[in-house]
Amino acid sequence: MIKLLKAMGLINMNSKDFKLITGLLILAFIMIILIYIFKDNGAKAANVYYKNQLVLTIDMTLKTTKEYTVSGTNGDVVILYDNGKIKVEEENSPRHLCSKQGWISQSYESIICLPNNIVINITGIYAIDTIVK
Amino acid sequence: MKKLINQNTIYIFISLVILLLVFWLTNNNAKTYETSFSYMDTYINIKIKHSDATVANEALKEAERIYKEYHELTDRYNAYEGINNVYYINNTTQELYMIKLDAHLYDILAYGKSWYYKSNGIKNINLGNVIDVWKKYQLTKTGVPTNEELTKAGSIDIENIVLLEDNYILNNHPNIDLGSIAKGYTTQIVGDYFKSKGITSYIINAGGNVLVGKKSADTSYNIGIQDPDDSSKVFKVIIGNNIAVVTSGGYERYYEYEGVRYSHIINPMTLFPANLYKSVTVICDNSALGDSLSLILFVLPIEEGKVFIKDYPNVEAIWYTNDDQIVKSDGFNKYEQ
Amino acid sequence: MGIKKITELSMLLALSVVLNMVENAVPIFNGLMPGVKLGMANTVILFVIYAYGFKEGIYVSILRVVIVGILFSGLFSPMFLFSISGAIISMMFMFVFKKIAKLSIIGVSIMGSIGHSIGQILMAIVILKTISIIYYLPWLILFAIPTGIVIGTLSKQLLKQFGYIKT
Repeated sequence: MIKLLKAMGLINMNSKDFKLITGLLILAFIMIILIYIFKDNGAKAANVYYKNQLVLTIDMTLKTTKEYTVSGTNGDVVILYDNGKIKVEEENSPRHLCSKQGWISQSYESIICLPNNIVINITGIYAIDTIVK
Repeated sequence: MKKLINQNTIYIFISLVILLLVFWLTNNNAKTYETSFSYMDTYINIKIKHSDATVANEALKEAERIYKEYHELTDRYNAYEGINNVYYINNTTQELYMIKLDAHLYDILAYGKSWYYKSNGIKNINLGNVIDVWKKYQLTKTGVPTNEELTKAGSIDIENIVLLEDNYILNNHPNIDLGSIAKGYTTQIVGDYFKSKGITSYIINAGGNVLVGKKSADTSYNIGIQDPDDSSKVFKVIIGNNIAVVTSGGYERYYEYEGVRYSHIINPMTLFPANLYKSVTVICDNSALGDSLSLILFVLPIEEGKVFIKDYPNVEAIWYTNDDQIVKSDGFNKYEQ
Repeated sequence: MGIKKITELSMLLALSVVLNMVENAVPIFNGLMPGVKLGMANTVILFVIYAYGFKEGIYVSILRVVIVGILFSGLFSPMFLFSISGAIISMMFMFVFKKIAKLSIIGVSIMGSIGHSIGQILMAIVILKTISIIYYLPWLILFAIPTGIVIGTLSKQLLKQFGYIKT
């Protein structure tokens, strides 16, 4: 079976394609490595935007588990924070794409919830530098 | 055609290597140095970005020394051998006509006293007697002092602080409490010291007092203001360089009795804790000024507060009211995203 | 354009729209990250490019996005804007890599997929005003390789079937 598939697939690709694929793989891996190297471990906060307006900022350096609720276009959006990671827990949207996006915790990750016009960013490079208490 | 792909991959490699080099070079010039310590009942954290490690580390050490010095000078609960500090001024039984002070203490007393007049009595550094009464009730949480107790607690007359020539103060037994200006004043001294050493990129966080320099040639600091009701949240982010951000609020030090919160900020007019808002935050260019203004604004109604800060250039404020409304001063949005 | 050609292209356009909507209805990979999809409609686009030419490919591609926008996501909605920028960049990439780099259909398919992702990411950065989305790029590139191979293979088979490619 595999041999058959391989035969089909291989006929369609030539050496140029393999070079292309190799080049792309290398490119992608280099990008990933760069991202990991320059990953910001500094003061992090999660910025929650509704229709591009900042509505909530969560201090991500705290060691607790908490729920936050913000209003989205389709109703309430419940955000769960747990010890430095964050995810959308509940929201009203046709296919629940936002809650399926899972946990994020790094400055290069984000949760984009188009149906509710909610974007959650982790500010690493654009971190909150300090908090006045 | 094979060559074409090889060429392309080589170009990609070269550009990535160049990118890496650029990142590495720009990051290596200035490094971040950090220190933290506790003085004045506050956890203080300082971050400096500078290219010279020696200068940076020395500056951090000096910053700690400065905080320690002012902590001891302004301490009203402890005596320190050989230092005529606030405790000494308030409590000495020695029969002296006048007390010689360290120039630094004299200056901060003069500064604090001047604010009484500038604020029509709202900022009073001779409030120790009334503060002591409230402290007793805060400890035991058994109730609230009566008006009689407060008015009979002892003098809060600012004129009891008599500053004489040559850094002397009259031994008049005032009851000085510098809690409302010590942090801001000291923070500004540290900030000025950093600037004098050529350190322009710094964050000094002394709890409710934040003083920042310039983040970089083309970026500004992002300073979050803590949500009074939830210490894990930030309700506003300010963007700016070379600013002091000072918050006064009743949410960190208070006691509750019969469902009412009594903060630690006493209104010298009513002798009771101020509770007009959950918090007030002032942005200006000097941390000592910010300290004074944030206290005054915490005690004044919003409209009067807005008028008050108009006398001071480049001051903006944001109020977080008791019913969770956010009110900003007129020019506040220059600090927003 | 002759009537025969218009009819053929219209049917292909309809097919690409249907494939697009089928994909939207059965989201397989959506848990992973935004913008991840098989891109079945690209089979048709590739077919059109190789069977008719780039001009026709552009027509079908843009019209597909517009029709899906009207029927499904809303004209000028964010989804529409992502799709259209994806389609444009995708076409550009496919043109370059077919005409200039002279890649095989698989290679063109992969680059088309990557172009589509880049277009979507760029538009998302502009609309959502957050640059952090760009960090998904390496993963989308990796994902584009197998899907590109699959779609490209499918297209090639179809082209063979209809006699546009001899082998």
